[in-house]
Amino acid sequence: MATSLSTPKLTTTMSSSPALHNLFSRKLPSPLSLPKTLSSLSHLRRTSTSHPHHHLHSRRRFSVRAVDSGNGADSTRHYDFDLFTIGAGSGGVRASRFAANFGASVAVCELPFSTISSDTAGGVGGTCVLRGCVPKKLLVYASKFAHEFEESNGFGWRYETEPKHDWSTLIANKNAELQRLTGIYKNVLKNANVTLIEGRGKIVDPHTVDVDGKLYSARHILVSVGGRPFIPEIPGSEYAIDSDAALDLPTKPEKIAIVGGGYIAVEFAGIFNGLTSDVHVFIRQKKVLRGFDEEVRDFVQEQMALRGIEFHAEESPKAIVKAADGSLSLKTNKGTIEGFSHIMFATGRRPNTKNLGLEAVGVKLSKNGAIEVDEFSRTEVPSIWAIGDVTDRVNLTPVALMEGGAIAKTLFLNEPTKPDYRAVPSAVFSQPPIGQVGLSEEQAVEQYGDVDIYTSNFRPLKATVSGLPDRTFMKLIVCAKTNKVLGLHMCGEDSPEIVQGFAVAVRASLTKADLDSTIGIHPTAAEEFVTMRTPTRKIRKDLPSQEKTDSDVKAAAGV
Amino acid sequence: MSRKMLIDGEVNQPNEQEAHYDFDLFVIGAGSGGVRASRISANFGAKVGICELPFHPVSSEVIGGVGGTCVIRGCVPKKILVYGASFGGEIEDARNYGWEVNEKVDFNWKKLLQKKTDEIIRLNGVYKHLLSNSGVKLFEGEGKIVGPNDVEVTQLDGTKLSYSAKHILIATGSRAQRPAIPGQELGISSDEALSLEELPKRAVVLGGGYIAVEFASIWRGMGASVDLFFRKELPLRGFDDELRAVVARNLEGRGIDLHPQTNLTELVKTEDGIKVRTDHGEELIADVVLFATGRSPNTKRLNLEAVGVELDKTGAIKVDEYSRTNVPNIWAVGDVTNRVNLTPVALMEGTCFAKTVFGGEPSKPDYRDIPCAVFCIPPLSVVGLSEEQAIEQAKGDILVFTSTFNPMKNTVSGRQEKTVMKLIVDAETDKVVGASMCGPDAAEIMQGIAIALKCGATKAQFDSTVGIHPSSAEEFVTMRSATRRIVAGTKPKTNL
Repeated sequence: MATSLSTPKLTTTMSSSPALHNLFSRKLPSPLSLPKTLSSLSHLRRTSTSHPHHHLHSRRRFSVRAVDSGNGADSTRHYDFDLFTIGAGSGGVRASRFAANFGASVAVCELPFSTISSDTAGGVGGTCVLRGCVPKKLLVYASKFAHEFEESNGFGWRYETEPKHDWSTLIANKNAELQRLTGIYKNVLKNANVTLIEGRGKIVDPHTVDVDGKLYSARHILVSVGGRPFIPEIPGSEYAIDSDAALDLPTKPEKIAIVGGGYIAVEFAGIFNGLTSDVHVFIRQKKVLRGFDEEVRDFVQEQMALRGIEFHAEESPKAIVKAADGSLSLKTNKGTIEGFSHIMFATGRRPNTKNLGLEAVGVKLSKNGAIEVDEFSRTEVPSIWAIGDVTDRVNLTPVALMEGGAIAKTLFLNEPTKPDYRAVPSAVFSQPPIGQVGLSEEQAVEQYGDVDIYTSNFRPLKATVSGLPDRTFMKLIVCAKTNKVLGLHMCGEDSPEIVQGFAVAVRASLTKADLDSTIGIHPTAAEEFVTMRTPTRKIRKDLPSQEKTDSDVKAAAGV
Repeated sequence: MSRKMLIDGEVNQPNEQEAHYDFDLFVIGAGSGGVRASRISANFGAKVGICELPFHPVSSEVIGGVGGTCVIRGCVPKKILVYGASFGGEIEDARNYGWEVNEKVDFNWKKLLQKKTDEIIRLNGVYKHLLSNSGVKLFEGEGKIVGPNDVEVTQLDGTKLSYSAKHILIATGSRAQRPAIPGQELGISSDEALSLEELPKRAVVLGGGYIAVEFASIWRGMGASVDLFFRKELPLRGFDDELRAVVARNLEGRGIDLHPQTNLTELVKTEDGIKVRTDHGEELIADVVLFATGRSPNTKRLNLEAVGVELDKTGAIKVDEYSRTNVPNIWAVGDVTNRVNLTPVALMEGTCFAKTVFGGEPSKPDYRDIPCAVFCIPPLSVVGLSEEQAIEQAKGDILVFTSTFNPMKNTVSGRQEKTVMKLIVDAETDKVVGASMCGPDAAEIMQGIAIALKCGATKAQFDSTVGIHPSSAEEFVTMRSATRRIVAGTKPKTNL
């Protein structure tokens, strides 16, 4: 059926595709390595105890009696629920909904709604819907219009007075949309017959959850409480805001310092810059987006700087001082910059594992507080499972969805399913945005040695007319031996939309020859990926790389 | 590279090895296909000449320009105008995002037109450079075939040059046609539509193909009132019926008046504008009437009859799978052969020709799974089979997955326009055999999907791909259950 639910697009039904979910990948060695089809059963870490023996006779709703004989649960004991999920974000909702569809009785608890998260505030929908992907993207849309107005001038559009932005309209409309979405998520749970309990869940024992004083027993407990922004303790850090607050400011920042070089930092830099704040980004390293392909890092930073964002490289915050006029100064290792209306820290996120009762029941946490789980998302306690950002694996909504879907199958469909982390595509909604799948050049060289690099750095058709200095960068990393595409990167307009289809192709063992034999869609930016004929450089072990210079002009159709 | 690289493939003629020719290859027409073929042939070591008519945005029997339709009168200028027109919708969308845009927004058509002309002149120069950098000799003038190995170029001043060539390649493209109705001279073709002096306030478009819907969107986006007339029930015949209906709905949603199953019968000049009469007895007044009623191959003045090159009924040059005409050393690529009339296809044909004739590697163009896009607003893009084609060709059951959703941007902008996506899957093999989408960024999104089809992607592989969130494209990897299953041998849907 058509998924006609409005954004975010919720899949309302599901089917299993066991073949691929069973693909084995132990430590995500190379995201693009050949799938090895192995019986997933033989690779369970604790075969004797962790394999749930299901005796589901039908998918219709009934309490799953003998769902588990190996998790310490008494199979004759009555539990209030087959599954109790703590946290109704992307992962928790997906797991609960699927579990209920598979016949389990499910409850999920979530904190009361607020746009700003805390120990006592959250909301159905979680980070993605309320404090992450969705509001972020809405603000990106809003800020991008500024660039479009500029572009439109080059295309003949004139405004009697320059378009002005009204902050409160945007925030009000954004919040109305978030309210609508949290309502949709509640309905999704309700329609799936999942019991929603508002309140703070805490684990009392391996089969009991306490929600604000009321106890619920459950055969399985799923922890999907996500993560929260983390602000390091420096003098004056109480004046700093995090991304939660930055998404819901009452007024527009006149001049904002953003501390951090990760994707959240560059996304907010783009948002505030587009909405005409004076934006300064302070990064500890030489450049933004550590872990991304080096060329992409250089490119995006250069493009952002061209749009007016000021970068302060290798500059770490030491203190924030509030002046008499209310403005903030940021002291760094290099000096002091004054006059900020806002200072935002985008300095990482931490799993929400405090005060959940985890340590007491024996759930193991990693050093950064993340819940340690096996490949099936099971914790050290056999009846307790965890998915999503709280496990700090790959912190992306679609990955949490995958983990949630997998756990529901493992527990209630008699289909032990490991999430498959190979070739997970991702995007950064900077301006211009980045889309990528697979390895960076640096990772590819390390893992494969001999690789061919194809790059294209061109001025898109729109920019030739708008006259703006926008450019687009694309990169392919190809294994010299097998011709397989190991990595694909793009920074430029529409990158996230463009890369999705290529990510499917990568799952289908994309080779450079496949790219060469595909016809372009003309005129698009995306067609450039199928018209890269000669490598920019060939990297060979023991040999210096051979380089050619980039062609500068994207001649129409690359004739 | 020296001439000794000129190793002819099996498709070449014997006994010619010793003959001397001015050129190894002479190409008539320097559009996408001709330039590509020349350049690649020259790279293989061939001595190449190419002729092209003088440059002007509006083509005629004696006007053309290096770059051809795509660069001068097609893809490129069209896309520039589509970009320009898209801002109209963007300005509307911006308001609910907090942007206060003065009601008085002015669109300066002349400025955009100048920018467009500057850009196509720039690209015309780029193409000339491409040729000279490859060592291809460019002649300006009209080329005619005077013998199996002889070409005559009539230059601007009327002087004629004659050259012999071992191979001749015809890549003269096509031109817009006009319907034979009274007053047709008052109408314009897409050539002129891309170069109008004034932006029309009231535009009438006749035709249901991609050119018609693209220009309807362009003018509407720039603020004109647009009436679109076409013969069928829905525009874009040949595309997936369900998506055709989506396009029609979106065009209407953006304010274009659709007149299905209606033809124009007469144009009359009046003081107020052009009076347009339809076969339903309606009358309306327009500033501009665009005929987007098809294109025909440019074969009339090539003197093909002199050497006996065969044409089909439409006037297109008949070629074999290697783009060879019935005259063994005369070849043809691109729109003049009326196969799949797309720039990237002409490029592919040009490359295959060069490989076949000068690369020692006989190569047939591969017409399977060619993606394409219609740049109406919002755009449509497809690859592989439509649902109707899949049903017709199917040996087993077909699964159809569809998704209709409100793109995130619209949740705040308030625009009432759904994005629709569709995957067609062979139930037995699980292979995805067709994909289509109508919605913002469809053309950009479809390129990667086209690659996936080229890789033989199965639905399971689509499903196992993690989404990029939040994007529209991720919907292609989250279509979990089939909308319908079409059992082999049944045809539940009507053909429109």
